[in-house]
Amino acid sequence: MTSNARRERDAAHRLPLEGIRIADITVVWAGPHVTQLLGEWGAEIIRVEPVTTIQPYSRGAERVSTEAQYRALGASGVSMGIPPDFDPGEDPWNRSPAFNAHARNKKSMACDVRLPEGREAFLRLIEKCDVLIENNVPETIERANITYDVLREVNPKLIMLRMPAYGLDGPYKNYRGFGTHVEGMIGHHLIRTYDDGTPDEMGDAFTADAIAGVMGAWSVVAALRHRARTGQGQQIEMPLAESFLPVIGEFIMDYTMNGRATGPQGNRHPSHAPHGIYPTTGDDQWIAIDIATDEEFAALCRVLAAPALTTDPRFRTAGGRIEHRTALDAAMGDATRGHDKEALFHALQAAHVAAGPVHDDLAATRSPQLEERGFFEEITMEGVGTHRYPGIFTKWANTPNWIRTPPVKLGEHNEEVYLDLLGYSRADYDALVARGLVGTTYTPEVLKGRD
Amino acid sequence: MTQMLEGIRVLEFATNVAGPFAGKLLADYGAEVLKVEPPSGDPSRTAGPFPNDEPHPEKSGLFLHLNTNKQSMTLNLETEEGREIARKLISHADVVIDDFRPGVLAEYGMGYDAMSAGHPDLVMASITPFGQSGPWRDYIGTEITLQAMGGPLHGNGAPYREPAKLGGNTAHYHAGLATSLAILLARFRVEGGGAGDWIDQSVYEAQAGFRDRRTISLTAAAYSGLSSHRQPPGSRTALGPRPAIDGYVNILGGGTKRFGGFLDEIGRPDLKDHPDFGKQVHQYSAEYQEQVEGSYQAWLFETPKLEAVARTQKHGILGGAIMSTEDLVNDPHYRGRGVWETIEHPVAGTFEYPGRQLILSESPRAAARPAPLLGAQTADVLTQLGYDRSALPRLRAQRVI
Repeated sequence: MTSNARRERDAAHRLPLEGIRIADITVVWAGPHVTQLLGEWGAEIIRVEPVTTIQPYSRGAERVSTEAQYRALGASGVSMGIPPDFDPGEDPWNRSPAFNAHARNKKSMACDVRLPEGREAFLRLIEKCDVLIENNVPETIERANITYDVLREVNPKLIMLRMPAYGLDGPYKNYRGFGTHVEGMIGHHLIRTYDDGTPDEMGDAFTADAIAGVMGAWSVVAALRHRARTGQGQQIEMPLAESFLPVIGEFIMDYTMNGRATGPQGNRHPSHAPHGIYPTTGDDQWIAIDIATDEEFAALCRVLAAPALTTDPRFRTAGGRIEHRTALDAAMGDATRGHDKEALFHALQAAHVAAGPVHDDLAATRSPQLEERGFFEEITMEGVGTHRYPGIFTKWANTPNWIRTPPVKLGEHNEEVYLDLLGYSRADYDALVARGLVGTTYTPEVLKGRD
Repeated sequence: MTQMLEGIRVLEFATNVAGPFAGKLLADYGAEVLKVEPPSGDPSRTAGPFPNDEPHPEKSGLFLHLNTNKQSMTLNLETEEGREIARKLISHADVVIDDFRPGVLAEYGMGYDAMSAGHPDLVMASITPFGQSGPWRDYIGTEITLQAMGGPLHGNGAPYREPAKLGGNTAHYHAGLATSLAILLARFRVEGGGAGDWIDQSVYEAQAGFRDRRTISLTAAAYSGLSSHRQPPGSRTALGPRPAIDGYVNILGGGTKRFGGFLDEIGRPDLKDHPDFGKQVHQYSAEYQEQVEGSYQAWLFETPKLEAVARTQKHGILGGAIMSTEDLVNDPHYRGRGVWETIEHPVAGTFEYPGRQLILSESPRAAARPAPLLGAQTADVLTQLGYDRSALPRLRAQRVI
């Protein structure tokens, strides 16, 4: 029904957050994902970021890296920090995939809220914003004296979303962590561990960032709705950890109902077998297959035509397949190994069997389904080049939507924000620039301090 | 005190995880959600866990968790009268959530075009594996297959064996959350004088837009022409999951600005004088790696996981322990913050559930009501629609309800 064509939107179908202005002092992944989602649906996002220090793990570039180092990283399968064409350029902080993946539809103003001049600009911005979003360690916000109690004096209708890892109080209040650490601390890492393996084999997953990002955006829209009806702003406290708890709700319930802690599950399912990731032709090529019923198993056997699956009496019933799933998985692997994963995927789907090829990043970018739905969008970022970016993950039948502006460069909107929005005089603005407090590159001292 | 979503009337024609999670979030924060179940009930009523592992349609932990604060009626949409009742309900609703295969709703005469005619405020949200359009529109998708295709599954696990899915129903929870966000956005537009819309949420696309590495790796693939790969365990010095004496930790020590504090804490301050100290973790020499790792693992071997985390956090080092659900539910931090909510259910009994996600300064969430019994509100809803109570036996006999 829907496509991403840039059709005109009428007034009744405007982007829902048009006219909402959001100040963004988020770092790393989860907070920026919140403002990505809100920006995609029309909010004006103003990213407030210092040029007087490099925020770690945010824009990248806190270290000097060479093309050779990026190539070595890429060869080892760690791609997420690699700039376009392995070239860090003069401005590596505008070229990080981790940053640019979320930074569309945002503006950037250079401002260090910890310095008096930055604080003044920030408070002037807060007066003109509907929402402030942050995901720093709680003590950072307290030390900067920009808690909700302080900011509501400046703007009584402000909505402020705070996203600490674990909470604004409690023993873990100031614990630092990425999504991957949080997903360990809320029980997800252990559950996703191979059922016959150990947690150290699993590598990082940043699932807590992915969930917190959407839940954070959800909470802001809910609070905007409440404000529209009551006139009240408010503080929303949403720890990453707590936003994730419902996602493993059934496992938590097993403990609270039965006192049973869930062990590693890997690719196993409580009632489906086969259920797993099976080898196909080629290096590191796999297909996911999920069988719930005897009919589906019969269809699977017809497609795979493997006697070891078809004739083994242990596999005849669902109960037998669950009981003997280790043997079943081995027989499945033997049966799938000679197949091309894409061909097998279509053959199994034609037989009404749930199957899907494991798509690495490059394969995902070539998906005919994502292509037809216009998921990827080609964006030109001046000086960085033209690339295809993952687009907007929800389609609305009558509200065509697309990435409106390319990933934002450091300080790209300094003049617009300081002069037009905050009403700084040209002379005052120029003075901030001259003192190195506002700019489009980090200050020389900061850049010299890198290694 | 008003809750954030009071006054929004939601109909949920959805089963299992994604649609019900979208509806649960709305219900938990104040919306009125009527769950319309087939007479046999939402299939999640047959999924565990059950108390004492005894299956019972009112005791499924998955169902109880996903359907708090909702009401339930049964309706057989295979009958014309059932569909007629559904259309009447939709005409009074603000929001409809469904998870039918593409095209089914229109076959039932309940499609967006038909239902929004004369009701432009209607927000309808349809969740499907692959979306309402495209060559794979009619394909079957399940949790593991959608993670495999859409999400970062290929990057999870070890390089010497098959990749592993994320836990439980993560992709469907995420897609339900994405749908719930879209519903709120559309409803916000309606209440501001704009129109409703038909939201087309594909679980596959939600996975492709997943910020658990996927959007980043897709961008990196466009930049470099390379895909990310699973990394061998222990491949980065003093960084990543490691065994401690009573479980596992995941601490980010090696190659960081706080590495000096880390070395102090594990009792090897002398390693700060090594020429590799201060380098990036992938630049350490084999000899330095061995010294750091050996000392770190020896230290962990006599340090409990939460103590290891507390001692490294003191230095500003990021990290966490790998907890089980047992650790989690009993942990004083979470317990002290009141994240568990005790809910009394008339049939299943009284248990702790995952409670609020948000602490709201002005519009706190009310205490949760338990998930509804199957069809608990069927009679009330039909009476409100103008049916006489005497019609109920006939509707039951004709398998409409």
